[in-house]
Amino acid sequence: MTSPAEDSREVVTAPPRPRRGVSLREAGPPVALVAIFAVFAALSSQFRTVGNIQNILDAAAVLAVVACGITFVLMMGSIDLSAAGVMATSALAVALLVENNRNDNDLGLIGIVLAVLLAAALGALSGLLLVLLKVPSFMTTLGVSAIGLGLATLMFAGVQPNISDAGLESWAVDRLLGFTYLTWIAAGCVLVGWLIQRYTRLGRYAYAIGGAEEVLALSGVKVAPYKVAVFTLAGAFYGLGGVMVTSQLGAGLVQAGKGYDFLAITAAVVGGTLLTGGRGGVLHTTVGVLLIVVLTNGLVQVGVSPYWQGGVQGLIVVAAVAAAVVPLRHRNQVVK
Amino acid sequence: MTLKSRPAIALLSLSLAAIALTGCSEEAAGGSDVAGDAGSCAPEDVQLVGQVRNESNPYEASWLDGGDAFAASVGLEQNRLTYDGDSTKQQEQVRQLLAGDTSCLVMNVLPNGDSDTTPIVKGADQAGAYLVTQWNKPADLDPTDYERWISHITYNGVESGQQIGDALVEAIGGSGGIIALQGVLDTAAAKDRFAGLEATLAENPDVTLLDQQAANFSRAEALEVTKTLLTKHGDDVLGIWAANDDMALGALEALQQAGRAGEVAVVGIDAVPDALTAIEGGEMTATVSSDGPWQGGIGLAIGYCVATGELDVADVSDEDRAFFAEQFLITDDNVGEYLTPETDAADFECGNVFNRVAGPLS
Repeated sequence: MTSPAEDSREVVTAPPRPRRGVSLREAGPPVALVAIFAVFAALSSQFRTVGNIQNILDAAAVLAVVACGITFVLMMGSIDLSAAGVMATSALAVALLVENNRNDNDLGLIGIVLAVLLAAALGALSGLLLVLLKVPSFMTTLGVSAIGLGLATLMFAGVQPNISDAGLESWAVDRLLGFTYLTWIAAGCVLVGWLIQRYTRLGRYAYAIGGAEEVLALSGVKVAPYKVAVFTLAGAFYGLGGVMVTSQLGAGLVQAGKGYDFLAITAAVVGGTLLTGGRGGVLHTTVGVLLIVVLTNGLVQVGVSPYWQGGVQGLIVVAAVAAAVVPLRHRNQVVK
Repeated sequence: MTLKSRPAIALLSLSLAAIALTGCSEEAAGGSDVAGDAGSCAPEDVQLVGQVRNESNPYEASWLDGGDAFAASVGLEQNRLTYDGDSTKQQEQVRQLLAGDTSCLVMNVLPNGDSDTTPIVKGADQAGAYLVTQWNKPADLDPTDYERWISHITYNGVESGQQIGDALVEAIGGSGGIIALQGVLDTAAAKDRFAGLEATLAENPDVTLLDQQAANFSRAEALEVTKTLLTKHGDDVLGIWAANDDMALGALEALQQAGRAGEVAVVGIDAVPDALTAIEGGEMTATVSSDGPWQGGIGLAIGYCVATGELDVADVSDEDRAFFAEQFLITDDNVGEYLTPETDAADFECGNVFNRVAGPLS
């Protein structure tokens, strides 16, 4: 039997419970990232060169920005499949607004801002449909994706707009401290995303909505505006992603966002953001993004046959997620 | 973790067995039932339909434009249909078309995949609509077994893969390392084109294939893959062989970003406008054109000629019912002729519609 005095001392000296993002339980994905990186580095001398590491970070840039946006939606417990369509719209819009071979526009930075705003508007549309019509986010965002692809196809009009805007083209080519501007932009986005998530009401409410929306609503918080705001924010991130793809490819493509929707969700989940909401965050997702890009790059560098790569990649992702959630697993856990 | 449920195990083994069986099962070819007489349509009653995946790529957009050009030449309008690369949507559109008045319906269709051709062919044959398909069909499905499926047009991917392969070998001076960007690996186009490159390599032992990766016909994927391969093989890469122009253009971007633009020869297939501009500007070495506008026009022209009775299916030789059409290698020598794609009305006259037959499907 312990005395009451001992008890109270223990309570006082016990370290404060770690805040989200730093607990040991969530160390799985970073450990998996380091492990996979180490394995590839051991197997391939080309993989561990500085040039290839620059290459990996450059390749991760667009996915990091898109995944940043999707993370906020997932934290809320919603899902967002609109990335492909929103990116297509912003890619075509920016290609037609900056200096290009289709029209006489030469808006430069303003054109980029307009394209991102257009994308944010599409994101807001997803959010409004969700809260006003009570259509599940799965359906609204799928619909908005189709709308985005439709808008992009209309703007495409059979002739591919190639950009000649020196500023936008330099994003993918010019380097600062060894990394392309795109990589720095992505790093900036992750930082901004993290700040929003950590220090603003929007970020905190996104967590709370994902954790227990009813409780939040019952305690007098108007949830709907925050939901719309989160989808708008996500749309802006996708829009920037679409602009970045346009910079990389030197042309506005309707297919600019193809595959990014599910890749970003995969990255978020691999990093430890739960589809049920209330867990994870921008930094988790960034680890997931790096894991996926390292895997794609490493399999090529090691020389795995292209016929095997798809399957091997899937297998490693599943294994990594399974390993990462081991500390989280408990007897009565429900997984849907 | 133990599997206790017997039904689950049974189901699992059944599905595995099913997967194993798919390896050796083949669909039986269908017969044909034909409604109505062929060749009894008045020219003004003919309805022309062109169906492709989407208008968001220049090649398929130019295909539909070619169809419009033919339709205008006979005083009709083409119904432009797109199905977003979605097989279900394509079948739905075809069903809707065939549910209407089909006696003078002419369809020029790009089936989404090999297996999508079978239901389209059977539906059109039963409804009595005139059908020309392009690119995709299962090997055992033959237009000669049907009356209303007039022709199937495709291109010899082995030949085009070899044509650009040879052009690439010439451009790098007959020896050195190259890398290959493959298309979607489970498509016939990707397989055939790569087989063409392998034929080139067999004839040129001094050229080594350093690496081959799938970039799924996508510009963005090709950009990433090429960047990775350039860091892997460095200056050993003298040439890049891409199974289509979109990937070739992605590779060009990657070369530019790596600061190696102009040092590496790049070839592709399809002759999209940007690739032609790149060839004209000397950044790209070669591409192959299937002539999209011609494809869009010719399918409608063949159907129109048969529907109006100017051409009798019985007179069309078996070799013309399913054929490889001519394709053209484009280099800086002849790129000028292809910069503005347009159709030649003479190609679509009923006597000339089979002029571009390069050989029967093997």
